[in-house]
Amino acid sequence: MSIRKNHRLSRRTVLRGLGGAAIALPLLDAMRSGSVLAANESPKRLIIMYTPNGTVPANFWPAGNGPNFELSPILTPLAAHKQDLLIIGGLDMMSSLKGPGDAHQKGTGSCLTGTPLLEGNFAGDGGQSAGWAGGISLDQAVANHVGKDTPFASLELGVAVQDPANVGARISYRGAGQPLPPENSPYAAYQRLFGDSIADPLAVERRAAKRRAVLDAVGDEHRALRDRLSGDDREKLHNHLTAIEEIRNRLDEGVISFGGECQPLDQGELLDPNLVTNMPIMGKLQMDLMAMAMACDITRVGTIMWTRSVANHVFSFVDPKITEGHHSIAHKGDEDAPKIAQNSAINAWYAEQLAYLITKLKAIPEGDGTVFDNTVILWTNEQAKGNNHSRYDMPYVLAGSAGGYFQTGRYLTRPDMPQVPHNKLLVSLLQAMGVETDSFGDPEFDTGPLSGLT
Amino acid sequence: MRELLPALIGLLVGAATTTLAGCQTDQSGKDGESAGSTDGDDLGECGAIEPGPSPIRRLTRVEYNNTIYQLLGDSSLPANAFPADEVAGSFDNQAAALVVSPLLAEQYENAAEQLAIANAPGLMDQLPACGGGAPDPDSCTADADAFIRSFGKRAYRRPLTEDEVSTHIELFIAGTGLGESSYDPEVGVETVLQAMLQSPHFLYRVEFGQLDLEDPPDPAQPDVVPLTSYELASRLSYLLWNTMPDVSLFEAADADELRTRDQIEAQARRMMDTPRAREAVKNFHRQWLGLGRIESQISANGKSAEIYPDYGDYLLSLWRRETEAFIDHAVFEQDANVEVLFTANYTMMNKQLAFFYGVTGPDTVEFERVELDPTRYAGFLTHAGLLALYAMPDRSSPIHRGKFVREVLLCQAPPPPPDVIPKPPTVDDTQTTREQFIQHAEDPLCSGCHRLMDPLGFGFEHFDGIGRYRETEWGLAIDATGELVETDNDGPYNGVVELANKLANSDQVKNCVASQWFQFGYGRTETKEDACSVQSIQARFAEADYDIKELVIALTLTDAFRYRHAIATQEAP
Repeated sequence: MSIRKNHRLSRRTVLRGLGGAAIALPLLDAMRSGSVLAANESPKRLIIMYTPNGTVPANFWPAGNGPNFELSPILTPLAAHKQDLLIIGGLDMMSSLKGPGDAHQKGTGSCLTGTPLLEGNFAGDGGQSAGWAGGISLDQAVANHVGKDTPFASLELGVAVQDPANVGARISYRGAGQPLPPENSPYAAYQRLFGDSIADPLAVERRAAKRRAVLDAVGDEHRALRDRLSGDDREKLHNHLTAIEEIRNRLDEGVISFGGECQPLDQGELLDPNLVTNMPIMGKLQMDLMAMAMACDITRVGTIMWTRSVANHVFSFVDPKITEGHHSIAHKGDEDAPKIAQNSAINAWYAEQLAYLITKLKAIPEGDGTVFDNTVILWTNEQAKGNNHSRYDMPYVLAGSAGGYFQTGRYLTRPDMPQVPHNKLLVSLLQAMGVETDSFGDPEFDTGPLSGLT
Repeated sequence: MRELLPALIGLLVGAATTTLAGCQTDQSGKDGESAGSTDGDDLGECGAIEPGPSPIRRLTRVEYNNTIYQLLGDSSLPANAFPADEVAGSFDNQAAALVVSPLLAEQYENAAEQLAIANAPGLMDQLPACGGGAPDPDSCTADADAFIRSFGKRAYRRPLTEDEVSTHIELFIAGTGLGESSYDPEVGVETVLQAMLQSPHFLYRVEFGQLDLEDPPDPAQPDVVPLTSYELASRLSYLLWNTMPDVSLFEAADADELRTRDQIEAQARRMMDTPRAREAVKNFHRQWLGLGRIESQISANGKSAEIYPDYGDYLLSLWRRETEAFIDHAVFEQDANVEVLFTANYTMMNKQLAFFYGVTGPDTVEFERVELDPTRYAGFLTHAGLLALYAMPDRSSPIHRGKFVREVLLCQAPPPPPDVIPKPPTVDDTQTTREQFIQHAEDPLCSGCHRLMDPLGFGFEHFDGIGRYRETEWGLAIDATGELVETDNDGPYNGVVELANKLANSDQVKNCVASQWFQFGYGRTETKEDACSVQSIQARFAEADYDIKELVIALTLTDAFRYRHAIATQEAP
């Protein structure tokens, strides 16, 4: 028996009885996901959580290995979910060790793309200038595969991702040089995803009719201009056109309506999403929204970017004794015990946030289990160790098995393999999500999936 | 080991930012060759027209808001809801970095829709035959045709083609059927507005150049073409005003009178003499100096209430406005040159700021000129906002301030920190901040790079983490001596006033300002092909004794501004 929901009701149903207005209704595929998924099969989901400035390796890696391991101080907040974790040691972000850019730019641009950065004009440390990342990111590659079945191919959320909007503030890429901005405001994100669901259906349909006519004309104009341009300008117009076509296509899909596990959110009092002191609240609201988006099947791919590369947010809400910014603290030497403790506390707080998201997803029933059963969450960083910018032995955590694909409850070490590019992990995640590929990112690290995960 | 090699700097024009030779790796043998190192006596080689690249430029949020205001008289600032513009270098208007994500495309749609609904009723006067109880569709469509041509010309910043006119007439007709009544011309106008405001010809500055020329301006380079007068009108208005052309520019373009250097210069001078030019100059400084980050960055991270009990978030906008008002006053009221921005012994304050600084000042909330103690203060360098921005929540930061001077004012990038970084100091009330950084000078691992930053930042040590003057720190005497190294005006100094004078007398600083304006004005960095354009900008800037207004006008007279390469044809995908 499947309790897989599809909340997209036909507009015809919604409008029945409203009478009067002659509105051209599009063909609806109300049972669309039913046609894609076999009965009893639940869709798989991928969520990525990014945190910056590296971790404290000594306090991050568990003791033991395989199924017999003990969680470290930083990972202790995940104790309730220990059997759902796959902690992966020994991976190196090789693609971030080449190409232009400084350590932080490369670590952030490479983490989900597995590519070096493009040449460009983002000033980094030491006059290292760079451009955007050089390829599509993991989440977008998955979205290309599974995103056609949902109104939004993917959802990019952020928590206090401060400006400037440069390579350090973006993790998702639709392709080389095409960053996707995260939405920092959970209120704006909610409106974007569910605004139509809480508005007057007749008004929504009138608006949609106008939008269709407009976007058809606007799309033609973009197409015609694109064809007159060349090089980067042509590429830019092409990408803009693609975005317009996506918005246009979404108009022909039904409006999400609430029901079952898909229920409106109460986001509480309106607060400033950019204030660092509001981070705990904004983070929860963003995770609530991500879980809701999954419950409503509005998307199956999401990223939550916590702050940004070189973020100097002051985590005084974790411990009032913390008065220095995260990046500054992350740069303290290993012998600076008080600062190492503070940096560990910051990373443990992030682990606590991951635990919250897991708990949230576990609370949404689906089939015989929960949404979490069909989800895999990747927790990635931009560095392994903040005070020396090492990107060897990256602190990767997977949570959730993606429908039984990954064998969780283990800590994997690879002492026998000196350098393993993280592209392998990206390939494994693609395969877990049903993308048939053996390579991802920079061809130099074209090495197939990571062994021992399944 | 790790000796810093002298880097060739000075009159560099080849790049916006020069990377100083590394403190970690031996770079001997690496040459410092650059396009401008021949020192200007090759002006004779500047005969050929060299426009450099002209990438398509998407409107920034500021340009979008300004353009909407000019176009519709709508001051709702819709672009404030858009994702932040991608920043490259110091600027948010760099063509290469600006892209349109699906999120931004959605927000263009929302903004266009809301603007159309809000503004269509007011535009109906322009379609008189569409009014009344039962308008005649044919007459109404004829009015719509005229409206589409006149409004469309302003939205696209050039006359519409006949194809574009008929597309929009079709949209208008379709739109009249999408309202609540069976024929609603106002919804037709809404639909047209909604489409035009999402058109690439509105959202981007589209240029092809003059394509129907019989003779190319430079027979040696047949792909170099002058811009059309309409394209040039847009270049002028977005450079000098950050918005669309005004009536007078449209008239000049209609008459094809934006072709010669004199015509362009006359327009530029007219435009410079308006409040909108002052806003654009303000926008430049907001980005170049980081004034735009004072509010967001300091409020996000806060200042220690324990150490700075007098700090309050209300100060942030006052701090930003102080520097903006000072530069505006100096440039436009005093015809000040670049040197004055560094050395002026006055600033602009209101009552609250005067109280904060502890100086005698105005009695009202209006900003007024206030004379300052010339032994303590020097131009924008001693403004609290910048000093607080380049500081820690609980103390000053000679490193950040020094890095600001090195990178932003001298256009040089210090090399990256080493992989193994020793423990930096924490707040210690038995030492001055400066004493805590002594390790940077003594440890050879640190000194190679920190000698490029710290000795520039120490000059500001009389100013605390919220930018207020102090005689002592923790009761200890302050040492504000420092030294300029690896610049064109090296040497020791004592205190920020002397530092400011050394910077004001540096050609490197002036060329850095010109370089930053090039980047801001043209939406891109300099390339080798721009050497002659850069030379002409620098020469005019120097001739005008470094008057900022003349520098901006010089930007409009170069090959890079007046010409472009024709777009190479490419197969359809």
